[in-house]
Amino acid sequence: MNSKTAGFFQEYEVFSKRTAASPMQYQFSLLAPNEEMALILAQENFMRREPVADIWVMKQSAIKKMTPDERQSLPRLDNKDYRNTKGYGYLKKKWRKYEQEMLDEKEIFSWGGESKK
Amino acid sequence: MIRLETDEEKHINFMERIYAGEKIEADDWMPDEYRNVLIKLISMHGISEIMGALPEKEWVPKAPTLKRKLGIMAKVQDEMGHGQLLLRVTEDLIKPLGKTREDIMEDLFNGKLKFHNVFHMEAPTWGDAGLIGWLIDGAAIITQTNMLNASYGPYARALKRICAEEVFHAQHGEAIILALAEGTDEQKRMVQQAVERWWEPLLMFFGPGDAKAVGTSKQDITAKYRIRSKSNEELRQDFFTKYVPRILSIGLTIPDPSMHYDQEQEKWIYQQPDWEKFKEIVRNKGPKSQERLRLRKLSYENNEWVREALARPNDAR
Amino acid sequence: MTELTEPLFKKAVVELLYQLADDDFILAYRGSEWLGLAPHIEEDVAFSSINQDTMGHAAMYYGLLEQLGEGDMDTLSHARGISERKNAVLLELPNGSGHYLKEPRYDWAFTVVRHFYYSHAKKVKLESLKHSSYEPLAHAAVKISMELYYHLMHWTVWFNQLMNAGGEAKRKMLEAISRVEQDFLDVCSLGPLSAEMASLKLIDGDDALMQAFHENMKPVFDALFIPYKGEFQQHSGKGRYGEHTQELHQALATLTEVYRTDPAAAW
Repeated sequence: MNSKTAGFFQEYEVFSKRTAASPMQYQFSLLAPNEEMALILAQENFMRREPVADIWVMKQSAIKKMTPDERQSLPRLDNKDYRNTKGYGYLKKKWRKYEQEMLDEKEIFSWGGESKK
Repeated sequence: MIRLETDEEKHINFMERIYAGEKIEADDWMPDEYRNVLIKLISMHGISEIMGALPEKEWVPKAPTLKRKLGIMAKVQDEMGHGQLLLRVTEDLIKPLGKTREDIMEDLFNGKLKFHNVFHMEAPTWGDAGLIGWLIDGAAIITQTNMLNASYGPYARALKRICAEEVFHAQHGEAIILALAEGTDEQKRMVQQAVERWWEPLLMFFGPGDAKAVGTSKQDITAKYRIRSKSNEELRQDFFTKYVPRILSIGLTIPDPSMHYDQEQEKWIYQQPDWEKFKEIVRNKGPKSQERLRLRKLSYENNEWVREALARPNDAR
Repeated sequence: MTELTEPLFKKAVVELLYQLADDDFILAYRGSEWLGLAPHIEEDVAFSSINQDTMGHAAMYYGLLEQLGEGDMDTLSHARGISERKNAVLLELPNGSGHYLKEPRYDWAFTVVRHFYYSHAKKVKLESLKHSSYEPLAHAAVKISMELYYHLMHWTVWFNQLMNAGGEAKRKMLEAISRVEQDFLDVCSLGPLSAEMASLKLIDGDDALMQAFHENMKPVFDALFIPYKGEFQQHSGKGRYGEHTQELHQALATLTEVYRTDPAAAW
């Protein structure tokens, strides 16, 4: 390692959005001397062939990552039907009694486009 | 009761994880042997991309039309980009050892870090530029797709990006070669001569069939750790199957009269390259080894002031 | 578009297009010689995109010339002799000493300054060209401006950071600035037909463009606390009049090396 130039090689993580409406997504990491430089290098290094609507760069050291031990805190038991629609499927039958359709996910998400009709 | 795992237990857990198809990440515990084989493999892969840009770079300013100039610029840019991805993966692996990209470059310059045999060779004509894109990239696609499911997550992700771009490279190479193969007699001769120059280096590209040929082989370790699945020879055979018929179909001749597919043995029979020569080449004694290393070293030293200048304000921040 | 039937209008359009095309073409060529040799890998990749964009812009201008019956774009970019080239001399100068394959000691400060100044001059011209009386050129200017935005941003970051770094970097940058300014008048010049180009409303005149350029540059220098003189010369020749250096001669020899072996062949 060269002590005079080592500071040039800072690690930055790059995130980008494909369209204005898309969520930020992790891309890859690059080396740059500072965040301004990281930002002007990001698109051409990782998104040369795809549309980009926005870019974030972040110093790698600013990210708190999980250790493998901490990752063991992630799994959950599969006993939480009550938080999912799965736990309420029986409503379909009930509504049928009243001659009503059940308002399921598909139906509810279709409402967003209704005003266009 | 909490009890610290012994290294042996860690090792057993580690092997269970990779055999279950789990991916290992940069900060995870890993056996030294695993870390070391990854560093060796990926740093060589990465630096080969960087050094591989040089023979083709020769042809960037010289490409014969605007479209070809743009195409080969984009292609060589990708090679640098692949080097970037792979060096980043390596840098995260060597970080716990207190090493950085600068150490990788030093290792290249002092001969500790080797680069692929093909990038030590001459590329004297435009036909070579096309052939590198077509067949060397073709060979690279075969070895790289073989590792897309590598147990090391960061490498597998980098390879996924790389292979996506290799598809463009292969087609870029094919476009140049087909134009020449369908062109004037002089153009046809250009491709044929390039095939003759590159045939042996291409065979060498996949590495020796077994450890006996050059003394050592990391084939077994990479297979054990689920980094790659096929052997050197299997990959070379795959290459023949995919490319020999194509080479012949456009009227080119392979400079090996013994080359044929043996139906009974179900494999291609071919003349072994000179593995002694291979050893010499990768020890930086190939025809262009020193010149290309010099180019890389000079550009590195020549721009040192830039890195030094921008390292300073950042340190203060 | 009736103007095209007027010989002077067409002559001025063609002249302007050659300047624009040759400028972008030769600078992209010089940039492409850097491939693999930039200060670090990430910059190498980014710089190559800028060179590709710039050569793409040249191809658009050559394409417009092709439509005007000047010949196909590969002939225009590869077969024209040195005295027919209309690029500014500054843009044909090598990146430093040595050859791109042998002992290249390329000068990053010169590259940053040349690109930074050129991108600013290109922006001023494109802004004016967006209102050009030659509509195809006005359309091209809108498209090209889109990509130039990134080029300017990229070179501005490099320019400012190396200037702010002080020490050897600043010394090299100041040296590069005076080198670039020595030949920058040529970049800003529109050559022998500049008066006609302005009166035909193809593009603003030399003076108006130069003034706009100074207005854009001065704040950059002010922010760096460096006096902006804005005094340019054309020390090495007048490219718009077909005057060029030996360096262009060599560049053309290299960039046409394969093409020349058989200009009629399909490559």
